[in-house]
Amino acid sequence: MPDFDEHMQTNFGGNTLKPNLFWKYFIVLAPIIAAGFLLYPTYRSSDLEKKEQSFKDANGKVIDSVGYANFKSKYEDDIKSNKSKRIKLGLDLRGGMYVMLEVDIVQLLREAASHDAVDDIFEQVIDKTRKETDLNEDQSVLDVFQKNFNEIAKPKGRTLINYYEISGEISEEKILEKLKKDIDDAIDQAKEVIRQRIDKYGVSEPTIQKQGARRIVLELPGVNNEEEMRKLIEVSARLEFKLVRNNAEIVHAFYKIDEYLSKSKKNTVVSDTAKTDSVKADSTAVKVDSTKVAVNDTTKKDSATAKKADTTDPYAGLPKEEAQKRYEKDHPFTSLFISYFIQNEKSQPISYIKDDFPDGEYYFQIPQSSLERFNNYLKRSDINRIIPNDLQVLRTAKSSSPLNASNPIYSFYCLKRDPELKGDVVTNAHASFDPQSNTPVVMMEMDPDGAASWSRITGANIKKKIAIVLDDQVYSAPTVQGKITGGSSQITGMQNAEEAHLLEIVLKAGALKAPVKIMEERVVGPSLGEDSINSGLMASGIAFLIVIIFMGVYYSTGGWVANLAVLINVTLIMATLPLFQGTLTLPGIAGIILTIAMAVDANILIFERIREELLRGRSARGAIDEGFSKALTAVIDTHITTFITGLILFFLGTGPIQGFALTLMIGILSTFFTAITVSRAIIEILVSRRESGMISFGQPKSL
Amino acid sequence: MQFLHGTKIDFLGKRKTFIYLSLVLNVVGLLAPFILGLRFGIDFEGGTEIALQFSEKINTAEIRNVIDKQFEGAEIKSYGKENQFLVRVALNLSKDATGKVIDALKVKYPNETITILKEDTIGPKVGKELRTKALLAVVLAVIAIMLYIAFRFEFTYGVGAAIAIVHDVLVTLALVTIFSKLAILNLEINQSMIAAFLTVVGFSVNDTVIIFDRVRENLDRHKGMNMIKLMNMSINETLSRTINTVLTVVMVLLIITLFGGEVLQGFSFTMLVGIVTGTYSSIYIASAFVIWYMQNVKKIDIEGDNQRQIKAEQLKAAKA
Repeated sequence: MPDFDEHMQTNFGGNTLKPNLFWKYFIVLAPIIAAGFLLYPTYRSSDLEKKEQSFKDANGKVIDSVGYANFKSKYEDDIKSNKSKRIKLGLDLRGGMYVMLEVDIVQLLREAASHDAVDDIFEQVIDKTRKETDLNEDQSVLDVFQKNFNEIAKPKGRTLINYYEISGEISEEKILEKLKKDIDDAIDQAKEVIRQRIDKYGVSEPTIQKQGARRIVLELPGVNNEEEMRKLIEVSARLEFKLVRNNAEIVHAFYKIDEYLSKSKKNTVVSDTAKTDSVKADSTAVKVDSTKVAVNDTTKKDSATAKKADTTDPYAGLPKEEAQKRYEKDHPFTSLFISYFIQNEKSQPISYIKDDFPDGEYYFQIPQSSLERFNNYLKRSDINRIIPNDLQVLRTAKSSSPLNASNPIYSFYCLKRDPELKGDVVTNAHASFDPQSNTPVVMMEMDPDGAASWSRITGANIKKKIAIVLDDQVYSAPTVQGKITGGSSQITGMQNAEEAHLLEIVLKAGALKAPVKIMEERVVGPSLGEDSINSGLMASGIAFLIVIIFMGVYYSTGGWVANLAVLINVTLIMATLPLFQGTLTLPGIAGIILTIAMAVDANILIFERIREELLRGRSARGAIDEGFSKALTAVIDTHITTFITGLILFFLGTGPIQGFALTLMIGILSTFFTAITVSRAIIEILVSRRESGMISFGQPKSL
Repeated sequence: MQFLHGTKIDFLGKRKTFIYLSLVLNVVGLLAPFILGLRFGIDFEGGTEIALQFSEKINTAEIRNVIDKQFEGAEIKSYGKENQFLVRVALNLSKDATGKVIDALKVKYPNETITILKEDTIGPKVGKELRTKALLAVVLAVIAIMLYIAFRFEFTYGVGAAIAIVHDVLVTLALVTIFSKLAILNLEINQSMIAAFLTVVGFSVNDTVIIFDRVRENLDRHKGMNMIKLMNMSINETLSRTINTVLTVVMVLLIITLFGGEVLQGFSFTMLVGIVTGTYSSIYIASAFVIWYMQNVKKIDIEGDNQRQIKAEQLKAAKA
């Protein structure tokens, strides 16, 4: 290589280099240059960020808008490309939020079944599937479901065809195929929808990854409003427009539920006493509330609207308290809430003493303290069967009496189960304020098809109520005043402006096909991040310094060579980290420190060996050669064993532990390279430049 | 500079005494978690943990009073500085716990600025999974290393190294449990502690590997030398490397334990204990096991001319 020789000669001032020495220089300089090249984006990025900050004041507001715009247009691409290549700090170091979500596939399977068909057998299959898949996250839910279905439902003569409706050719295989596709879609869609929500909310540099079979991991740097973030992520945002059916039919069903419950109570005294006892203990507050019902009952007696009840009142003549008690006992379900009959736009309370309800519109209110029992009743499949199949009962999102904060009152509606229109027709949403009522609203626009349907639906239901339902809660149930063309609609019923803003975001991003649950959540405040960096860096710095001094003193020139090699090593680790998509976390720093220890160990091993060989009377050259080659096997073995643990940690660990494992593994590779190759190259360069042909390894002079 | 040179210490002569000592420590390590109780972090237990900072110094007992009203059995302890606290709420109460804790504290201390330093909420499912995975990781690592060493050296050596690793893990566990019980350090079994244990597994085996490596070399060089002599020689020859490495690593870990901040403390302390134990076990467990195996299982006469001594020792042991 004559060309290189010439080049090198000019560089090193006449010191003639042998070709093999060129390679030594190359080995030392190449990693330094490579590391510099890889670290440049990190430097450049922070430099540009500083410049960007100079256009802003302390609150992040732009002061010099012209200069800022110029700067932005000039460096936009530069900023972007450098940002993607720089060293990323983990959430523990920069502050932010880590969320692990699980897509609820079991729920998806349940909801995909047609409602009419769902029975106890099916619920049993679903419950068992949920229990089993809860234990193992990597198991395919569909496989477990299929296994359970075959075990439980098949012997009872059911097939999947009983529960799932599909178009085209109908067979079990086709149903499973479709369910599998639905599940895959739901997970990908959830990831995409959540990404959009987060982007619209405005989080800089979020990472969103799929983990395992049905989990999504979010890393959101700089987020500090966890409450809002949680709402934003977890909400399904399934928007539906449903007709309100608060009619005599449902009141009738409620009456039947009472009848059924009090009858079954009498029939199964033993098994039910325990139940009623626990219910009593559960909610002492309910008793207080139901006095309202009692009051309503008595006022009713005076009112002209319900004369009939008077004569047939089975509690007539009993003392008030006793009558109340008896009423509750006979009406375990309807005594949980208050019902009104609306006549001439005035509401009259009604009671369920007799199965004789006038046709017309009804209205229901329920205190929060009774909600749990109410919902538990409705969840029971034996009770659910009493309610007509095409109807469902849903409560409002917001309480109607904000004054009573300890026990707010909600309304609930009976709705036609099949929605008239679904939220996927919504193309745009916009949060604003209704100046008249001074409440937050979200205005929505629909696509042409949606607008046409909306106009038809509203036209057909004038003077009737249509409920706007989001995630199975009624936000508002306005009465249609006239046909609405143009496809605009609005949602009211939000608690505050923030909620309206979040709703705007989730409506724009679209609904989730399957609900998601937060499994794990970690938030690191920015100040802890700073403290961690500082104490971690300080401790590492001191430790590094002590190691350097020790090596230098104990192994003399050899020690300084090792120090240089370790320095190159650390730079290399930092530089390669972004290549592996790694982030620098606090455990990651610990991994680097451990790597330094490994590197120092390798050097100590080699130097001790060289000293030994010198002691045995070998020449300088021979001692160095022998030292390196004999230490090699030990260095290889120690590095491989540590690498093995790193590997296991990487595959079994999560989040911060993976960060540790990654830096450890990168560190071990680069230590192996620097301790064996780089430090040897430096030693040989030094030896070649000394007249004595030897450098000191700190061995006692007398030897 | 040179600390140790040409030592001829009879490390393995006293091996029986040390093996008994190790056995005792291992039994302690096995029992301590059951008797004293392991303190699991919320990574494994589930629940919510919130680190808070007040603008001024506040009494822990006062905070406990406020929080206890809402969250029965909540755990409150100081965190790093005097105005920083850690509140831990059990799993079944952890819904919206942060908001409730902050609200309650704001009512009690209206003039304080309360900053959330960090907040972790772990569901029950995740906790269980992490526990299984942690155990799996340790077991897998031990097996993998055993196989590797068995492949590089001999099967006996692999088993010796594996026993030494298990020994190190148990002794470390014993010390961590005791230190945590005495409340000297804030030590919980959490994810980074598991990482520390695994690093102990990976790093403490280094000493063993280096001794074995030297034994392999010396077996070639000094054919016919009795095994105990040869092992002792190998240990002595690598002693100055062992001392220097352990010293530097211990220094590094000590500094991080003392100054590295709350988060790294548990990690570095565990490593510290593990590394020191690892050095000890490389001699008295790993090497001693290889000798024991050769003597008692393979029935190799490894002491050559020292037959009489063995018999004397056996007699002594029989009497005891």
